[in-house]
Amino acid sequence: MNASPLIEIRQLVTRFGEHTVLNGVDLDLYAGEIKVVMGPSGCGKSTLLRCLNRLVEPSSGLIRFRGQDITAPGTDVRALRQSIGFVFQQFALYRHLTVLDNVSLGLRKLRGLRRAEAEQKALQELDRLEMAGHRDKYPAQLSGGQKQRVAIARALAMDPAVVVFDEPTSALDPVMSREVAALINRLHDEGVTMLCVTHDLVLAQNIADEVIFLDQGRVLAQDSIARLAKDHADPRVRAFFGRDGDKA
Amino acid sequence: MTAWQSFAGDLLEQWPLLATGLRQTLMLTITVSLTGFLGGVLVFYLGLSPRRWLRGLINGYISFLIGMPLIVLLFLMYYGLPQWGIRLTPFAVAVLGFTLNVAAYNAAYLRTAYNGLDAAELEAASAQGFGHGQRFRLIILPQVLRLSVPALTNQVILNLKDSTLAFLIQYTEFFARVQELASTNFQFFKAYLLAAVVYLALVSVVVVAARALERRLILPGSLH
Repeated sequence: MNASPLIEIRQLVTRFGEHTVLNGVDLDLYAGEIKVVMGPSGCGKSTLLRCLNRLVEPSSGLIRFRGQDITAPGTDVRALRQSIGFVFQQFALYRHLTVLDNVSLGLRKLRGLRRAEAEQKALQELDRLEMAGHRDKYPAQLSGGQKQRVAIARALAMDPAVVVFDEPTSALDPVMSREVAALINRLHDEGVTMLCVTHDLVLAQNIADEVIFLDQGRVLAQDSIARLAKDHADPRVRAFFGRDGDKA
Repeated sequence: MTAWQSFAGDLLEQWPLLATGLRQTLMLTITVSLTGFLGGVLVFYLGLSPRRWLRGLINGYISFLIGMPLIVLLFLMYYGLPQWGIRLTPFAVAVLGFTLNVAAYNAAYLRTAYNGLDAAELEAASAQGFGHGQRFRLIILPQVLRLSVPALTNQVILNLKDSTLAFLIQYTEFFARVQELASTNFQFFKAYLLAAVVYLALVSVVVVAARALERRLILPGSLH
């Protein structure tokens, strides 16, 4: 593990008008690591991810990416975004493009690769996710799990420094969810750095030893799910992670 | 000689003039359908600008032109502008007036389709690092155009029918020639029936072409 984190978030605050969504979040993510952020709906999980690539502008605080403060004016936001692979909740594939074009578009238009080169690289990524056979299909012809794989291939094709997942299993059935967990573990073994936001306990348990619990815009706890469910002082934390809630 | 025979005789005699009129009608319709389409895409694009003042200006443009009868715009330019020393040919006025009007309508159709797009796809494009223009060209426009084929081709039909207005600014298109035909033999019913049949035939061509275009552009597995 490197001495300095790939992503370093300090005292991150994000407000939408009067409403404070993130209220002083700290988080470190090292290269090769996978971190899971959990919390109830509206706790600011998705906003946290969107601050990383400036889809949402932080109100204050610091985000360092490879040591650079990316909240500073003059940051090349488009270059930043190209180095953060984003996998969306509903997969957000471009519906007018085939699977192959979905994955190769960024390579061609952002990296300037020729079509043949871009398609070769895209096919490699699709192959890695066992989707190469679906290259000529359109998103509407794919199942949820297949769309998810294409979305991941699209993110990986750009060789990002980190891949972030926004609720990767919320649109999938339990069987598919387990497959996603296996897939994320495989990517982790291959050295992909990942940050995953979810409220799927099974997924979290399967992919990470520890989770970060976000509540009302703050990191309330960071520990293993078992310990958070049993031993944490805050009843809200126990209630979230406990299988039958807080009965105290 | 029956009335039909005399009408047929006049028709044959005036046919060269009617054909010229038909050519003028087609020329105007095709020209303004193209310029109105391109103008519509441009207006739609500018309406998505991150600059608030530009969006306001474009919204104003669309509201103003949709709110104003086309004939008023045509008269304003054809009869009004010469008072300021600006004289344009009937064809130039017609092309300019129709283009301004049709572009506003087309932009409104495109905007409607845009409002129905999946916001997550647009966010995904931004997240990938695409700039404003790339997002428009690569993600928004191909989807919006596809969704708008029925509305845009319908506008071509409207353009064809509205081209009859141009004779009021001295542009001698097909309908103007039919009027001349009617006034030479006073067979109004037959003459205007002829006009109706010709316009219907032209519209049918557009409809068939539109359907073919829609079939070509349909995405596998989708309802659109």
